[in-house]
Amino acid sequence: MRQVREHKEDLLQRLPRLQLVLFGLFLLIAARFWFVQVVSGDYYLELAENNRVRELPLKAPRGLIYGRQGRLLAENVPSYNLKLDPSRSQDLEKALSFAEHCLNQPATELRQALDEGGGAGSFRPILIAEALSLSEVAAIEAAALEFPEFAIEVGHLRLYRNGPITAHTLGYLGEVNERELASEVNLLKPGDLIGRKGVELAFDDRLRGVDGQRAVIVDSRGRFKEEYGRDPAQSGQSLNLGLDLELQQEAARYLEGKAGAAVALDPATGEIRAMVSAPSYNPNIFSRRLDRDAWRNLIEAPEDPLQNRVIQNTYSPGSVFKIVMAAAGLSEGVTDPKQTVWCGGSTRIYNRRWRCWKQAGHGHISLHRAIKESCDVYFYHLGQELGIERIAKYSRQLGLGRPTGIDLLGEREGLVPDPEWSARRRGTPWYPGETISVAIGQGPILVTPLQIASLMAAVANSGYQVRPQVVESPSVEKEQLTVEPWVFERIGAALWSVVNDQRGTGSAARVPGIDVAGKTGTVQVVQQKTWIKSEDLPYEQRDHGWFASYATAGDKQLVVVVLVEHGGHGSTSAAPLAKRLYEIYFRDYLDDGQSS
Amino acid sequence: MRSTSGTISTTASLPDERPFLRQLATVRWALLISALLISLIGLVTVHSASSELSIDYLPRQAVWLGLGLLVFVVAFTLDYQFLTKFSLPIYTVAMLLLLLVLLVGKEAGGARSWLGVGAYRLQPSEFAKIATALLLARYLAGINRRFLSFGQIMAASSMVALPMVLVALESDLGGAAMFVPMLAGMLVVAGVPWRYFAVGAAVALVLAAVGWNLVMLDYQKDRVRTFISPGSDPQGSGYQLRQSKIAVGSGQLYGRGYQQGTQSQLRFLPARHTDFIFAVLAEEWGFIGVAAVLLLYAFYILNGTKVALRARDRVGILLIVGLLSGFAFHVLYNTAMVVGLVPITGIPLPFLSYGGSFTLANFIAAGLILGVDFRRHVNR
Repeated sequence: MRQVREHKEDLLQRLPRLQLVLFGLFLLIAARFWFVQVVSGDYYLELAENNRVRELPLKAPRGLIYGRQGRLLAENVPSYNLKLDPSRSQDLEKALSFAEHCLNQPATELRQALDEGGGAGSFRPILIAEALSLSEVAAIEAAALEFPEFAIEVGHLRLYRNGPITAHTLGYLGEVNERELASEVNLLKPGDLIGRKGVELAFDDRLRGVDGQRAVIVDSRGRFKEEYGRDPAQSGQSLNLGLDLELQQEAARYLEGKAGAAVALDPATGEIRAMVSAPSYNPNIFSRRLDRDAWRNLIEAPEDPLQNRVIQNTYSPGSVFKIVMAAAGLSEGVTDPKQTVWCGGSTRIYNRRWRCWKQAGHGHISLHRAIKESCDVYFYHLGQELGIERIAKYSRQLGLGRPTGIDLLGEREGLVPDPEWSARRRGTPWYPGETISVAIGQGPILVTPLQIASLMAAVANSGYQVRPQVVESPSVEKEQLTVEPWVFERIGAALWSVVNDQRGTGSAARVPGIDVAGKTGTVQVVQQKTWIKSEDLPYEQRDHGWFASYATAGDKQLVVVVLVEHGGHGSTSAAPLAKRLYEIYFRDYLDDGQSS
Repeated sequence: MRSTSGTISTTASLPDERPFLRQLATVRWALLISALLISLIGLVTVHSASSELSIDYLPRQAVWLGLGLLVFVVAFTLDYQFLTKFSLPIYTVAMLLLLLVLLVGKEAGGARSWLGVGAYRLQPSEFAKIATALLLARYLAGINRRFLSFGQIMAASSMVALPMVLVALESDLGGAAMFVPMLAGMLVVAGVPWRYFAVGAAVALVLAAVGWNLVMLDYQKDRVRTFISPGSDPQGSGYQLRQSKIAVGSGQLYGRGYQQGTQSQLRFLPARHTDFIFAVLAEEWGFIGVAAVLLLYAFYILNGTKVALRARDRVGILLIVGLLSGFAFHVLYNTAMVVGLVPITGIPLPFLSYGGSFTLANFIAAGLILGVDFRRHVNR
């Protein structure tokens, strides 16, 4: 059946010869293994038993974090850790009870650490206790001959000098998890610490160095004899933040015991000068092996201390939103600054009565006074005339409803509502009455405190916004807005009056010698049918207080935004902190000679 | 002589399926079985070798093994006559891929030989070897003479020289060298007069001298130097060589037990899950384990040769010879390296070492070999 047209015979003759050669080589290799393993096996086994070169990791120190004026905010402190090598232990029980005695720590905890690290069968030293005191180190070292299985290792412990005060900005570290270990790009090893929140997370690549390695010769008891080779660790890059520690401390002190957020930034560069979220937590507890109870307490706390309220919580802007309304009204030509509106304490729009916060009414009122005295009726009418589409357009234009682009992770974008959103997300049409609520910053509109700070920077800069940045960088990212400078100048003048004129709602932020301009805001948490004082309500129903502001003295400028949850009116709950921060920041310009 | 194209049409052309199944049953499955046995031993050893690494490579290698079976089926299904007929375009694509690696490749272990595809990395040089074997088989099969002429040998050599140069430019000298045994095996079987071997040896020596001075990088020279005098660099290549030998030797006759090898578990061994996996195996399973695995490899080669001996045409025989020669040399070189007989280069062990592209390439080769066997009676 086969048709043989080709010459295969030659090939078929040569092939077995080739196979024979290959099998001959296989035999040679097998013979070599026989020689090495069986004939000289004892020799190599002894070499293996006495293999005394150990490779020890050299941990790269993490980059330091500095605030303004070189104030150290995060550093590494030496920490003595106890390691146990089960393979060198004669009697593991005796060793553990010795450690229990020395460290005054229950043996169950040590045993748990041992089991988590690989158990009694491990070939490698296992970390069983961290942050030993010097006397504990001395006690262990004194018994080194009796217990060769113990080794003291000097490691680094991350220390945040100001603990809770800088917690949300700096973040904290955590041990890598399985998933992160599996991704090859990170080059992580088990037990490595990486950034989990804040600057530590966002700049982890720069802060983390490259670990090195050290080859050492040890004696038969595992003790160090001499160094054999070294691949030095490269420490991580240090970072400089624009954070002003004094402002940060003052804001943290003010918000202690409250829930809220405060942010201060330089409108020219976007550098964050202060960023405080309350309540806070102590980031130093994350630097060592975590206490499970402490972790659960943080996770389960109802006021959510881990949340950075400056960028991760959204709130109704309240009357602060009137700045956006004014910008929209002036730009669109809907508002004539000279025209007045009648405020009789309330007004009727769409067959509903809309109340002004001032029951007695403001009488005939212009835009300037309406901002200064925060008249609601004026803005109800402005909202009706503008309509929700134009309000939404200017809100987005001024940075609401989108991330500010700050160099931290996890920023929320808030919400600028419009009919399209309503149909898509709620499945209901937009009601005209909602436009009236939005006009005074109530209703579905939501912002982060940082977005409000960015808005204030636009007013302070008369027309451009900057990208907020925690870590100093040589470049400043500016965004020129289409709203024209004269609009911002007019609004700025009104905001100045809010703080500095008679009857302005922000007089609590007045600082003699400094031009402070700002806007108060009060957000109803529960809608009230009549005029009720917030202080008379239970805590969780009380209003949130806003104060959004900026100040100028000489060539220095600062934006300060404060939000106090359930703090009542912004003029009393939030504005005083802004005043204190300006007093500190503009110390050299003050009138009353505090410094000069 | 024309062949049917592929098994599908073969079955379709037959009135009932019994001859097809009967034909399938007579294929030398022992070859695949030995490959699978080695792969399973590989999985177990990779797990032990990675116990002190940051991740366990076992699940990944299991995935590669699964993919390997898939490409085996594909390679088995494709008609080798069809493939050799289109070997020039296949070869061209492979060369373009090698060029691409040179331009945009990723570096790992001192060599720039990887192509990143998302999270996965592929090493085109592994597939280039198969493409080159296809082209060589076609060329040599067309020469219906007892002995090749000098010009024909040169032509065949130049087909191999191109991918070799490209791979060598990636600084992967070990990978480049692996083309030589493939060529040599095919030439020997195709018929080379003895006098040319003497000339070939002389040329190889000259090339080695030139390569040493012009092509080789420092780390590669170091490896050769320390092979010649191992004491000179206890932390570098000499260190690896020594540690590997200690691992192998300490295994003795019966081994130190699974996951009980101090050399492997204490991280003395470099590249434990890839190039030095045989040292881990030797330490933990002793000479018994070494002999068993070597026998499995020999069994694979024996079966491959049997397939070649009953193949129906020259192309089939030569293709198998090329694939088997490369395979055998990988095994021989790697095991010899682990036991300190030859200098260290990055040459992994087929079916046993961790590695994606390499595992796939070996399963493709197995599929091609058995595909030749399956089609040994097809005739028209």
